[in-house]
Amino acid sequence: MTLNLSVLTPNRIVWDSEVEEIVLSTNSGQIGILPNHAPIATAVDIGILRIRLNDQWLTMALMGGFARIGNNEITVLVNDAEKGSDIDPQEAQQTLELAEANVKKAEGRRQKIEANLALRRARTRVEAINPIS
Amino acid sequence: GLRDLRDRIESVKNTQKITEAMKLVAAAKVRRAQEAVVGARPFSETLVEVLYNINEQLQTDDIDVPLTKVRPVKKVALVVVTGDRGLCGGFNNYLIKKAEARIRDLKALGIDYTIISVGKKGNSYFIRRPYIPVDKFLEGSNLPTAKDAQAIADDVFSLFVSEEVDKVELLYTKFVSLVKSEPVIHTLLPLSPKGEICDINGNCVDAANDEFFRLTTKEGKLTVERDIIRTKTTDFSPILQFEQDPVQILDALLPLYLNSQILRALQESLASELAARMSAMSSATDNATELKKNLSRVYNRQRQAKITGEILEIVAGADALV
Repeated sequence: MTLNLSVLTPNRIVWDSEVEEIVLSTNSGQIGILPNHAPIATAVDIGILRIRLNDQWLTMALMGGFARIGNNEITVLVNDAEKGSDIDPQEAQQTLELAEANVKKAEGRRQKIEANLALRRARTRVEAINPIS
Repeated sequence: GLRDLRDRIESVKNTQKITEAMKLVAAAKVRRAQEAVVGARPFSETLVEVLYNINEQLQTDDIDVPLTKVRPVKKVALVVVTGDRGLCGGFNNYLIKKAEARIRDLKALGIDYTIISVGKKGNSYFIRRPYIPVDKFLEGSNLPTAKDAQAIADDVFSLFVSEEVDKVELLYTKFVSLVKSEPVIHTLLPLSPKGEICDINGNCVDAANDEFFRLTTKEGKLTVERDIIRTKTTDFSPILQFEQDPVQILDALLPLYLNSQILRALQESLASELAARMSAMSSATDNATELKKNLSRVYNRQRQAKITGEILEIVAGADALV
């Protein structure tokens, strides 16, 4: 049985082909998915998606969303997704530093919500470039 | 005199060239805008399908998700989507008028409001009117992306969740066809399956022609042409398990829905703007052609009159010599 993964963002289809295995960051922790997985629906956190293809691991930064698994079809709906290899390391690092500074500066409930979200996104992008394996 | 007329014809000719070029550019961009909408389709279709499934499974449950929470409305945030450029007929004006009317309504109801302005034209309008409270100015873009929608969604989300505002409305121009588009008000938050929101006293604060938010399949189609292409979806396994609490899953899905709604509004607004510019420039070109024709006629008549006058003078002079 082959496992099919499609990663959809509002703009485009980021990934739509066969994979061997994936590791998905869900709201309740990471889950690994192999062919013939039981059908589940899960919320996807801001985090990293790891894809095994030809015994190589690829990483992708996911900006939060939803995933549905069943019939050997994985559908991931996210606000934004970037392949680790497509992210500019310098730019990502700068964004992270900026986001860290913003969190410290943030005042009031609303600013804190915004700053923390931005920080998590920035951190994920940096992690996607240097995956901790 | 004749020279003035000649200059005028020349300048009309040049203007016509410009309007013609603008029309062609707008036409090409409309196609790009349509492609963007088509690109967004797989996402929105899957999303709506999933939402629909989950909503069905949750029908009986009492869901409590922050984004669906209906509170008594004390303050409303209006997201006003305008274009970045002029020369597109009444496009920006109509939308701003709509926003003004909505502000008046809210004032009459004694409800506080704040504006989130998207697009340069709206920005400059609100900057000129400092008495209108504006929460944030955002620039529009040539081709709306999920990032642009995200920026708006983040702002709206934090405003709503921090309870600074109790309702968020989106004002944008809906694309009907290449020759027709209309400004509409669309309630973004709270996401309510029913729509109309009333406060404790029974005063409803929804605009009369509000487009209600409905969690149904037909609201999810994202086509500019408004054609109904429903891809055949494979029946999904009924023994679907929820990895988390259904509430958490909805929590993850609804922001996605919010984003795709905003993105659609941005895309429609852009398509309307381009269509408006196309027809404005088309009629400008027609007018220039007409004007050029009339001016040439006047010019030729005057020139002929001058020649006839000269010939008459010569003939009269020759006669006098005989």
